[in-house]
Amino acid sequence: MDAVTTAPTPRVARPLQRRRGAPVWWRALGGVAMLAIAGVLAFDRWGGEDLPGWLIPLILFLVSLALTWSPLDGAFGQDPWRLDVSGLFRRDDWWRLLIGLALGITALWWFALWDYTDSMAVRSVVTTLVILLGLGLMLAPWWMRAIRQVSIERQARIREHERAEIAAHLHDSVLQTLTLIRARATDPDAVARLARAQERDLRAYLYGERRDPDASVATAVAEAIGEVEDAHSVVVDTVTVGDAPLTEDLRAAVAATREAAKNAARHGIGPISVYAELTADAFEVFVRDAGPGFDPRAIPDDRLGIRQSIIGRVERHGGHAEIHSSPGGRTEVALSIPRRES
Amino acid sequence: MSVTVVIVDDHDVIRVGVRESLDDQIEVVGEARDVESAIAEILDKRPEVVILDVHLPGGTGAGALDVLAEIKGRVEGTRTLALSVSDSAEDVVSVIRAGARGYVTKSISGPELSDAVRRVAGGDAVFSPRLAGFVLDAFGAAGGEVAIEDDELDQLTAREQEVMRLIARGYTYREVGEKLFISIKTVETHVGKVLHKLQLSNRHELAHWAAQRRIV
Repeated sequence: MDAVTTAPTPRVARPLQRRRGAPVWWRALGGVAMLAIAGVLAFDRWGGEDLPGWLIPLILFLVSLALTWSPLDGAFGQDPWRLDVSGLFRRDDWWRLLIGLALGITALWWFALWDYTDSMAVRSVVTTLVILLGLGLMLAPWWMRAIRQVSIERQARIREHERAEIAAHLHDSVLQTLTLIRARATDPDAVARLARAQERDLRAYLYGERRDPDASVATAVAEAIGEVEDAHSVVVDTVTVGDAPLTEDLRAAVAATREAAKNAARHGIGPISVYAELTADAFEVFVRDAGPGFDPRAIPDDRLGIRQSIIGRVERHGGHAEIHSSPGGRTEVALSIPRRES
Repeated sequence: MSVTVVIVDDHDVIRVGVRESLDDQIEVVGEARDVESAIAEILDKRPEVVILDVHLPGGTGAGALDVLAEIKGRVEGTRTLALSVSDSAEDVVSVIRAGARGYVTKSISGPELSDAVRRVAGGDAVFSPRLAGFVLDAFGAAGGEVAIEDDELDQLTAREQEVMRLIARGYTYREVGEKLFISIKTVETHVGKVLHKLQLSNRHELAHWAAQRRIV
């Protein structure tokens, strides 16, 4: 349970709040003014004849970009979720935006009037492209914002979807079981069985690799043991090491394991433990109970459980089974099946 | 001489259950329900053993790992036994690597838990069958990897593997000793060495390894 409640919901990191300092802004404007004066002086000194026609519109345009982007950047930085900035803007933000847009349009206009080539066709195409590009650049912050918001919304949707899936699973399993348990509160066996089955299910959901039993001998063993637990109302401590897809031999070993666990549940006392280890050479299983033990040589010939279902089954697949027990002690069934290519 | 313990678990029911299942040789000197109160309680009461739930609210969100990191080196002689319902290899391996001397699941019986507490208090390691299974997976025992040198940190020796296999099969330390014809002290030494390897191995992603190594 605690794994669910303490797992923190991942949150989208909020961008650092940016400070919009007017003094910094005015200093920048001062710098721009100095640059402008320097430009005028340079123009005065060397004359404007050789100056390329695109230089002044370009400078104007860059100034306009600085003016339009900075207030938007500040406003978006404040609240990453809003597209509409009107509520976040202060008055000087509005002025900067307005002046910036005006400057930008002037710059583009200037460029449009510039007669840089004789070919009318080239000029109309290039000018149109440049103007579109310029307008696009001025509006870029909105554009970026919209893209980012789409991705934030998508993440939120994915999270919501996951949450809904978990809720649905918990509803179908845990909630149903709890309702059943409450209805059968007077029947301790039924309650124990329901609780055990639910615990197994929830464990598989929380920690399990949830493999297909055909693809995983570990899952197949866990399922077989689960059935025994339910049928005999016992708890079996199951540990598996190694894993591989099921083969015919492994299937037989799992079936024999189920029989051995059934026997332990029927005749032995808890705790019952099952250890299954799959190595490169063999699949070995040990099923152990805590007593009361019996004399393995004294198994009557008509007891098919052990002879047929455990020993016979394993031997038919090239393995062997041993039963270690003595009256008064623990019983351990050891199965071993060699791994063959199949 | 009774052993002093502090129980840390965020569920009241579990704390009460653990307290009641411990025998009278064990004295509960404090309880805590989250990372902050656990650290305060441990530093204040200085118990011999902390029974620590793996998932705890508070701290940086890492639960028991936060507590272990915080008390490391600040309390002499306090040892930790991790207690959890979790089956995930990440939880088990990371809490051992953070310094816990043992890991048991909450389905453990009262006498077994009391034994585990005494064992941890005595400086020994406590391995549940499941932890032994993880160790065999993580150190590639199923793939046939065996350490030749005794002090190799990334692999288990043949004897250590035998001991881990028997623990995974549900044998108690005493039964392991009888089966292998060694003393219970020797079994404890082997288990202690495995714990040491688990804590210090350079196989950084041991838990991840465990999952990977399952396929043989």
